[in-house]
Amino acid sequence: MPAETTTERLLAQREILIDARPETVWEFLVDPEKLLRWKGVHTTFEARVGAGYRTEVVPGNVAVGEVLELDPPRRLVYSWGWEGNPDVPPGSTVVEYELLPEGDRTRVRLTHRDLPSRESLERHAHGWEHYLGRLAVVAAGGDPGPDSFLTERS
Amino acid sequence: MEAALKAIAEPRRRAILRLVRDDELSAGEIASHFDVTRPAVSQHLTVLKEAGLVDERRNGTRRLYRARPDGLAELRRFLDELWGGQLEALKREAEREEKHARGNDD
Repeated sequence: MPAETTTERLLAQREILIDARPETVWEFLVDPEKLLRWKGVHTTFEARVGAGYRTEVVPGNVAVGEVLELDPPRRLVYSWGWEGNPDVPPGSTVVEYELLPEGDRTRVRLTHRDLPSRESLERHAHGWEHYLGRLAVVAAGGDPGPDSFLTERS
Repeated sequence: MEAALKAIAEPRRRAILRLVRDDELSAGEIASHFDVTRPAVSQHLTVLKEAGLVDERRNGTRRLYRARPDGLAELRRFLDELWGGQLEALKREAEREEKHARGNDD
């Protein structure tokens, strides 16, 4: 599903069907040890509403936010942003995981809201801030579109 | 790739990259944009250079710096792949776990 760009704040959404029960998938969203098997190199994630977390997603790049909603094994919502990035500061965007059972399988719907719009990023920032904005989109499984940072040069 | 990731993790180095994206600048010109010492800027430039994100060119006694598009493109490819594959990675790990659990149930 492409990222929605008509709104001022960008929304990215993506779904994937997993051949596992929601209970199994849920553990991979909230258990730090299982979380790190598919995302990040270090995390302080704790499955408790109000708990702050700090996840080193790629070396030197840290995502920071707070758990907002927890409804095992159906729904997980947390705020999300990059440490040291004024465009997507810690806690500035919202990530939501919904687990929808389909027989013995689980449809995972990932929604990332309140991302800075591509326009707002390009108005006042070039370079890495621009990249981190793109990252925020692809982090949610969205399509950030052509990279103006690269295409403008050529 | 880890060197490039660490290089762009520092806000001032990202600002330097932005400065030299379209213009080739000397260390002094770059330093004039920041409230930090010249040696600190040189240190940042060294990190960016070693990470392959910036090219250095000598012009007489001056050293000039410019962003290296190839380095940035490599970085972007790496990150796009990493993030794009994230949900697929979740699927792989959860299915492996489920298979293991179902195997134990039998």
